[in-house]
Amino acid sequence: MFYHNFKYSLKILLKNKMLIFWTFAFPIILGSLFKMAFSDIENNEKLDTIDIAIIQTEEFNNNQIYKKTYEELSNKNNKNKLFNIYYIKEKNNLESKKKANQLLEQDKIVGYLFLENKKEIIVKTSGINQTVFKYVTEEIIQTEKIITNLIKEGMSSNSTDQTINQLYEKIYDKVLSINENNTILKDTTNTNLSYTMIEFYTLIAMTCLYGGILAMTSINNNLANMSSKGKRIFISPTKKYKTIISSVLASYIVQLIGLFILFIYTVVVLKVDYGNNFPLIILLALIGSLAGLSLGVFTSCVFKNSENTKTGIIISLTMLGCFLSGMMGITMKYVIDKNVPIINKLNPANMITDGFYSLYYYDTLDRYYFNIISLIIFAMILIVISTFSLRRQKYDSI
Amino acid sequence: MIVFNTFLKVVKSSLTPIIMFTLILIIFGITNFSTNDNSLNFEVTKPDILIINNDKNEGLTKNLIEYLTKNSNIIKVKDDKYKVDDALFYRDVNYVIIIPKNFKEDFLNNKNPEIQIKSTKDYQSSLAEMMLERYIKVASIYKSQLTSEDKIIENINETLSTKVDVLLTSKLDANNLNKMTFFYNFANYSILAGCVYVICLILSSFKNENIKKRTIISSMNYKEYNRKLLLSNSLFVILLWLFYCILSLLLIGKSMFTYHGLIYILNLFIFSICSLSIAFLIGNLINNKNAINGIVNIIALGSSFLCGAFVPLEFLPTGVINIAHVLPSYYYIKTNEIIKSIEVIDIHSLKPVLANVSILILFTIGFSVITNIISKNKQKIG
Repeated sequence: MFYHNFKYSLKILLKNKMLIFWTFAFPIILGSLFKMAFSDIENNEKLDTIDIAIIQTEEFNNNQIYKKTYEELSNKNNKNKLFNIYYIKEKNNLESKKKANQLLEQDKIVGYLFLENKKEIIVKTSGINQTVFKYVTEEIIQTEKIITNLIKEGMSSNSTDQTINQLYEKIYDKVLSINENNTILKDTTNTNLSYTMIEFYTLIAMTCLYGGILAMTSINNNLANMSSKGKRIFISPTKKYKTIISSVLASYIVQLIGLFILFIYTVVVLKVDYGNNFPLIILLALIGSLAGLSLGVFTSCVFKNSENTKTGIIISLTMLGCFLSGMMGITMKYVIDKNVPIINKLNPANMITDGFYSLYYYDTLDRYYFNIISLIIFAMILIVISTFSLRRQKYDSI
Repeated sequence: MIVFNTFLKVVKSSLTPIIMFTLILIIFGITNFSTNDNSLNFEVTKPDILIINNDKNEGLTKNLIEYLTKNSNIIKVKDDKYKVDDALFYRDVNYVIIIPKNFKEDFLNNKNPEIQIKSTKDYQSSLAEMMLERYIKVASIYKSQLTSEDKIIENINETLSTKVDVLLTSKLDANNLNKMTFFYNFANYSILAGCVYVICLILSSFKNENIKKRTIISSMNYKEYNRKLLLSNSLFVILLWLFYCILSLLLIGKSMFTYHGLIYILNLFIFSICSLSIAFLIGNLINNKNAINGIVNIIALGSSFLCGAFVPLEFLPTGVINIAHVLPSYYYIKTNEIIKSIEVIDIHSLKPVLANVSILILFTIGFSVITNIISKNKQKIG
């Protein structure tokens, strides 16, 4: 009997087109959309070469520090190349400025430097590229300042034995030769920093919880108050636990097939990085699906509504959970984690997402196990409640 | 009137998803509107920095922290390894600076102290690194020439306070324009999802076989019936459009009452009509009420993701943008982006806007023609 019911539950589930769409196809479509939309975001956030213009005024041409620094920073062979520079030289400064403004208007440059009596940077709007341009220019001015300051100091302390020119040259060489070798910056960032991964983890979480719809449909088929099929099974002389457990098992299998396909798709096509601990990834997926299954069983047994309402309950709970764990913008997860952590500690979608996150980002496992245990507790509580509500059901009339 | 009443009944029953699409728009609108007051002066971008100081807060160390505080946004996070790493991962901070014990003494005594940093490797963190490196460089130079710590600090501060003038040519209110663009880009999702969902639901309700049979044998001319259905659907779309316009007024405020705001509103109107035609086409294609939800999600989410409603166009890979060219949403969103950077509104600057609008209108006509062909073929019931 067990096998019989199991086989037919499996068939019923796999032949339900709507169910298969939401649990199999929808996550894959959503994942592909995520990939298309987010694949370039992180690259775009890296500092790129910035297009600027410099008007070649007399001041600029005579000032070696400016000329050399900008030449160095726009040198093709320099691996820290920062700028693409358009040098502008027209008949007079007014014409040159006109040309530069034109480039600015067409968004070919972010700004230009105009060096005359006073030093000016002209930009169209505020922004990070413009800020970098400003910083670099300021750095040059400050280097000049350092030299004059040091000359002043040198003059006042030992003005007797050297001329200003000697002093200038000495300090100039010194300033240009000093690098940061005095203090070292040591980068200790974790290597896995790609925050768009969270989106894909929430996708897995969503699929695990959507699996609840499968369990719900499967259980509904056994409930006398839900369908004619349920009535027939209800009065049949079979042990209830046999039919229920075989139905739930069938839905769990279908759920795992869907999840497996999604995993393969995200790894092979979407290149999602789940970290390196393969067995733990599988464990999390199995337990995450169990949590989804328990949600479905719970909704199906405890709520006495129509099938549509029950589906609505699972979908809204899942979407709310995914929203809070960062599906519609990862900042949401962080804001909740930081300010009201209790919400996300109770949110199964976040337990799954956070489990993957800790496998990907951290080298310790305590946070991962915390999530696994939370998921098991969540699933157990729901299953126990459902079992009690299923026992000893009787209907006088239906 | 009967047609319209039935229409209203169906709309009433589908208010929940419309409220949901709108709520999503409001939540995202509010959370994404940055609140900095925009002025017509240049504003420096400040990276978000987290400083963990293990040294005594005095002398050079104190000065370094003061310098960083002045030029960046200092973020406070509980000093716990996980909390700091989380903050970095979720980009709450771009750059973490861990100042070691005895930093000041070691630095002044040429012992080469090591500053640990963590960085998100993006624009902001590069900027933060530039700042830190510059401070250290300036401090190193003065240290090699001067002996007194006070003198060094005084010189550092004097040097680093030298600024260059930055002039801004654009007189646009960039902050509010960004808000408007964000809101109207996101409205792409809400309008499209709302239209397709409701109109498909209405059409499929009217397509129920029994209802359709009754309508066909009634005395009402089928042309009149179609006209009424079209009118009520158009009314719904226009109400939805008005609703989102009012919402934008509430969220963005009086800067909507500018020529820029007007173009955003008109653009949304054209797009709403286009959505109506899309919804009509889909409503005619499907017969299964249960399929509506799936189709709405795919169409609305798909074109919103691909055309830059959620992720700005400039961040999308070129391949995706090329695909997006076949979708009407692209032209709607592109127009919003163009409006954002128009300085002077005249015939010349509006040319690209008009081009995009014409494409949207062509899309609308195209969808309507296809709908007519399909519905003509579906006139008979067996």
